[in-house]
Amino acid sequence: MSASQPHLFTTPVTGAIRFERVAFSVFRLATYSILLAATIIFGIIFVKGSETLFTREFPFVNTTFLTASPETLHVFEHAGQKHEMGDKEFRAYLEKNGNPQVSDDNYVYSAGGIFPCIVGTLFLVLGSMAIALFVGISAAVFLNEYSRGGPVVEMLRLAILNLAGVPSIVFGLFGFGLFVLFAPVFGATPDPAHFSISLGFTCLNFSGWGVSLLSGWFTLAFMVLPVVITASEESLKAVPKGFRDGSLALGATQWETIRTNVLPYALPGILTSSILGIARVAGETAPIMFTAAYVVSDRLPWQVDKAVDVLFQGVMALPYHIYVVSSKIPQNAYTERVQFGTAFVFLALVLMIALSSVILRSRLRARYRW
Amino acid sequence: MQTSEHNQALSSALKGKARLRVLGLTFDDVVRYFFGGNAAVAVVVLALILVFLLKEGAGFFGQNRTNIQVYRKAGLEYVDMMRAPLEEFSSLTRTLNDVRLKRFRALLAEGRDTDGANEALKEYDDFATAFGAAASEARGVVSDITEVATAVKTRAQVSADREDEREMLLKGGKAEQAAALKVDVVDYEKEIKLITGVAPAWKAAVTEMQEKLRGAVSVARGADWGKGDKELAKVLVKTENFLSVLPKADARMAAWRWDEPVPLSRSVTAFLFGREWLTASFWQDWYGILPLVSGSLLVSLIAMAIAVPFAVSAAIYISEVATPGEKSFIKPYIEFISAIPSVVLGFFGIAVLGTALRSLSQVEWLNWVPGFPMSERLNALTAGCLLAFTSIPTIFSLAEDAITNVPKHFKEASFALGATRFQTLVRVLIPASLSGIISAILLGFGRVIGETMVVLLCAGNRIAIPDFTQGIGMLYEPVHTMTGIIAQEMGEVAQGSIHYRALFMVGIILFLVSLLINFVAQRVVRRYRISIG
Repeated sequence: MSASQPHLFTTPVTGAIRFERVAFSVFRLATYSILLAATIIFGIIFVKGSETLFTREFPFVNTTFLTASPETLHVFEHAGQKHEMGDKEFRAYLEKNGNPQVSDDNYVYSAGGIFPCIVGTLFLVLGSMAIALFVGISAAVFLNEYSRGGPVVEMLRLAILNLAGVPSIVFGLFGFGLFVLFAPVFGATPDPAHFSISLGFTCLNFSGWGVSLLSGWFTLAFMVLPVVITASEESLKAVPKGFRDGSLALGATQWETIRTNVLPYALPGILTSSILGIARVAGETAPIMFTAAYVVSDRLPWQVDKAVDVLFQGVMALPYHIYVVSSKIPQNAYTERVQFGTAFVFLALVLMIALSSVILRSRLRARYRW
Repeated sequence: MQTSEHNQALSSALKGKARLRVLGLTFDDVVRYFFGGNAAVAVVVLALILVFLLKEGAGFFGQNRTNIQVYRKAGLEYVDMMRAPLEEFSSLTRTLNDVRLKRFRALLAEGRDTDGANEALKEYDDFATAFGAAASEARGVVSDITEVATAVKTRAQVSADREDEREMLLKGGKAEQAAALKVDVVDYEKEIKLITGVAPAWKAAVTEMQEKLRGAVSVARGADWGKGDKELAKVLVKTENFLSVLPKADARMAAWRWDEPVPLSRSVTAFLFGREWLTASFWQDWYGILPLVSGSLLVSLIAMAIAVPFAVSAAIYISEVATPGEKSFIKPYIEFISAIPSVVLGFFGIAVLGTALRSLSQVEWLNWVPGFPMSERLNALTAGCLLAFTSIPTIFSLAEDAITNVPKHFKEASFALGATRFQTLVRVLIPASLSGIISAILLGFGRVIGETMVVLLCAGNRIAIPDFTQGIGMLYEPVHTMTGIIAQEMGEVAQGSIHYRALFMVGIILFLVSLLINFVAQRVVRRYRISIG
């Protein structure tokens, strides 16, 4: 048999197969161009952002950017030299040089750092995830362990599906209407301007929580609830039925079974899947725009007079800060640093959360195999 | 009797512990209801969303009705009947200016200097000046009467505010202060007479305008310089149309009555089908949702046109073609894309993509693309490209699930009949998973239309219905969207004002649209799923 002769069982390259190859390479091209586009976006933000975040000298990280508050950037010429400095430094400089008249261009938020935003985002995420996990896991336990189908459960599932599709800005409006304007607070006397209920020892005034952490927590928690419920249910389903049957056969009640034989095995899965929910909570801007975020706040969340005030204050948040610096100040070489720097820190934070979820999940899958 | 006691003792011994009951519920029941209650939170939240959006937004229609009522009573509606033809006329003169600019550029390109070009256009300029001057009389009439009407409206608003104040005082039990508060009652009838009194002057002005315009048109038609210019011919035809429509306004003006009540339905239609969203204007505020809906739709359709081919191709590739190694890398990567916060994408659009797209559109050899070069950096296309990015992961993962879930034996049967992989894909796998793919696309659409930050930052935020006559060029127009307008204006409005309530109404529309899309998506999955079994 000569080399040019094809093997008897080789598939002949017909027109259909040639067409198939072309079609498949089109699909391949489409897939890889999605990846390419994403890589370009990541790349540009990482490269430009790292110019802000990293320095050439020790400690190689721009610590001011990560630990200071935003300031106005002043750009001016004095004594034949061009200076760029933040607000405080600028004032000190003027004082030192005998208050000369300088004409300066100033750019708000372009100097200093983003520490309050990072802290605010952490506060928002922790609180809202605590609420969402509590409610979401309980709901999933009901749906997966207790419910036996029927129209009511169908309705619950339908509601969860629909809740997942509600636009985030609608959650923002809802949070504004319910938590900011209407939610009850305790007061010693009834508030005449609002609806109030007297409980004898205290009064419930429905005057709202204002733009506050608390409002933001609940708004974000309800937004992310469907994600948490779905993730929790999946993990609960993955626990083999035999675990439950064994426990019930030994005389445990249903709650004891869930507590000792279901939740402990499902919890790691629930938590890791819910990390994706964290990425969503941290990344959303629209729901917190009117409920929790301040454009600027000169105090850090823990600098309050009374402990309870922590809950009733607005905070700065990374996503809202990006919105502010990218839409409210002009685009130029001076403002670009803070814009790309903030975007970089934020994107890196969110992607790290998402990455840890992906890695933990694949590890977990390898560990729990029933 | 004894047996029953015996049984009880036995059963409690078997159970091992006495059951504590509170309100007839055992501890297990309480736990069960607790979990059930948490599951019900989803329903409660959905209901609360609707309730609170309605609570804040429902007052809108009443307020909008008052708004329109004042518009009519103060005679603004009457004046608008005169302003409308003048505005149409202004757009005609603007086109004439454009024609001149084109001719001027052409002359310069021929090698003439500025003076020479102006010289050559002298006849055209004479015509354009005569054309523009035709309306000067009518403009004068309208501008006088505009001031009168605005003054009446301002007085009406002031007296309405005083009325509110008085009611507040009366409610607070301060009758004396309320009585002392002088409320200036606007005598609409008298004021309206002043406004409708201009009708004869207006009629005379219109007749003069018609004559002058007819003259100008016939000059342009007869002259040499007007020949062979398609755009000019279009303007002339439009002018003739305008002249024939002009007298119709007279009949409407004569039939108009200031005291005709405004029905509530007018307030609803003005919102749902209103073509203008105008706030804080000196003349009249309009809250019509059409420009926002059309902007949202335009941006979403661009996004879907980009996202669907890519996402579905990728889903097919991953489920049918890719090697396991590729799969384990590409799937998490696309999942990663879904984690990119939308505000970062929006920022990317402002800082990089908008500028990049515009400079691409200015490249010489791309001139053949309709609508290039773009005039604005932030427009529907910029926003659409980035929105596509937010919906690709959704569409991809749902469509991939749908294709993977087609039972194996469908595929095997097809292979056994000698079909190639591609034939199997097109004839078996895609039809079998079509319902899933369609519902994936619908859910992706739902995500896109509800997306806020990208459109707020990148869509250009110009509140206008896209100009459909421009064809493809429409894609590069800046638009505003339903989500964007809420995010942008919510922070600036006074609580309880009509504008505030209008924004909540937009929110309600968005909420209902999202429910509808979800409903349809679920329906599609259930109805058209090929029964597998």
